[in-house]
Amino acid sequence: MDKKKGVDDTEPGPAPSRPVDRFGFIKTEHSNSPEGILKSRSTHEHEREERRIRKWRKMIGVGGSDWKHYVRRKPHVVKRRIRKGIPDCLRGLVWQLISGSRDLLLMNPGVYETLVIYETSSSELEIIRDISRTFPSHIFFQQRHGPGQRSLYNVLKAYSVYDRDVGYVQGMGFIAGLLLLYMSEEDAFWLIVALLKGAVHSPMEGLYQAGLPLVQQYLCQFEKLVTEHMPKLGQHFQDEMINPSMYASQWFITVFSYSFPFHLTLRVWDVFLYEGIKVVFQVGLALLRFCHDDLVNLPFEQLLHSLRNFPEEATDPDTLLPLAFSFKVSSRLVELDKEYRKKLEGPSASSSSKRFQPLKSRVMSRASSHVSSSPNVSKK
Amino acid sequence: MAANAGNKIRNAKVVLLGDVGAGKSSLVLRFVKGQFVEFQESTIGAAFFSQTLAVSDETVKFEIWDTAGQERYHSLAPMYYRGAAAAIVVYDISNQASFIRAKKWVQELQAQGNPNTVVALAGNKADLLETRQVQIEEAKTYAQENGLFFMETSAKTATNVNDIFYEIAKRLLQGQPAQNPQAGMVLSQRPNERVVSSASCCS
Repeated sequence: MDKKKGVDDTEPGPAPSRPVDRFGFIKTEHSNSPEGILKSRSTHEHEREERRIRKWRKMIGVGGSDWKHYVRRKPHVVKRRIRKGIPDCLRGLVWQLISGSRDLLLMNPGVYETLVIYETSSSELEIIRDISRTFPSHIFFQQRHGPGQRSLYNVLKAYSVYDRDVGYVQGMGFIAGLLLLYMSEEDAFWLIVALLKGAVHSPMEGLYQAGLPLVQQYLCQFEKLVTEHMPKLGQHFQDEMINPSMYASQWFITVFSYSFPFHLTLRVWDVFLYEGIKVVFQVGLALLRFCHDDLVNLPFEQLLHSLRNFPEEATDPDTLLPLAFSFKVSSRLVELDKEYRKKLEGPSASSSSKRFQPLKSRVMSRASSHVSSSPNVSKK
Repeated sequence: MAANAGNKIRNAKVVLLGDVGAGKSSLVLRFVKGQFVEFQESTIGAAFFSQTLAVSDETVKFEIWDTAGQERYHSLAPMYYRGAAAAIVVYDISNQASFIRAKKWVQELQAQGNPNTVVALAGNKADLLETRQVQIEEAKTYAQENGLFFMETSAKTATNVNDIFYEIAKRLLQGQPAQNPQAGMVLSQRPNERVVSSASCCS
């Protein structure tokens, strides 16, 4: 069977002949990606884009040599520029700089290769079963045993060996896949290490632990934020018995890289890498705010449908992200985090409290730029 | 499959459980949309679908929760199977490990679930006869011993997909005659069921 991907009886032609959007996803009739955006750009916009790229090049220096210096000197300029979007041609490099994964790579020469070639993982079968089910509509990942699928497998396997406590968790494939569209296998691997184990900060630390306790915590915090910022909608969700795990778990598990308009995923990731998990809360709130007036009138079933299929206007990054940043959530998240942990420790104070490190350190601790090489974060 | 207009509609919450790649999403997609995709995107979290089915003079509206198969997501499953009127435990006939996992789900349902939940065992990928690892007799015997009803299905060829949902609908209607006809939705006791669901968060 080397049929690539076919809906029922339609025999798929060779991949390159099928129309793809500007990110390489095969177009469907109701494609969610606004293809027009690039084409309709005026010369004025082109010039602006070029100026932006020049600014960014200057900011990061040759091969990223000036980045750290610039971030230390003008963190707010960096933050502002990242929120406006990293130029696509520099995105892969900048993501590695922001996350600190570049340093990990340089400090660990040959490690990735060893993991891929010599180590075996107990998760291999599980990974294999998901490989052809990760971005199946993207040309890079579509070909069975093609370069895309091979890279995806290598990165996931290597990580499952490197961090045996976490191993492989469904959802990681979408993150690895997203990264592989912008960088090499080895770079993608170290970026995942940076996300989960920490380099500059570790925005996903603990996320994939058994039982996904952190996801449960985030969902709980998100529910509270919805009620606080949009009481009417919060009440409506309660009346309709909708809880956030029904629609938002994949937002947190994959940081919007699963089943979400790709142009928006990229912009969310730009910010996520610099500012941390709070942007997932902000974007989630912004989506709900944008569709608020429709959502409050929908019954259970349509509500669930709408929460999985946001209208195109809602997913335009230049509309949604400013709305997202208008939600000030940092300090409230820290409070909710404390409350949540206190509640867990409440009746039966157990060792589980150790799992929950203060959210503060995950949200915005950029102070230490140590490269952590401790093999086991969960034992901290 | 279309619902007859004018008759009673009963809501029934159904949950699909089973190993990674057993074909849970594919079964749902075949039933709900009549489609099959060779490489169905992995399910992260859970996904919701609905479909109605006419059984003699009544209509059952299935509210279907399709769950993620990986063990790591196990802790999220109870909120979907609690309060479910029916559960379909899916395994892949060409994968013995998925059958073992299916048995674990059955045990969990028996221990934690509602005793009135109709449990179906689906041996999916029945088109893969050449690579079969789970014998039909073995599964049948297991199902009988555990009070499940059993079918081999193929989401790819559509074999027994509508049938398994039809059988569930029939059993639900037989098992629980309408006690409150004007309400017309007693099967899933919706409000209670959802209270349980939201309680599993933090409210």
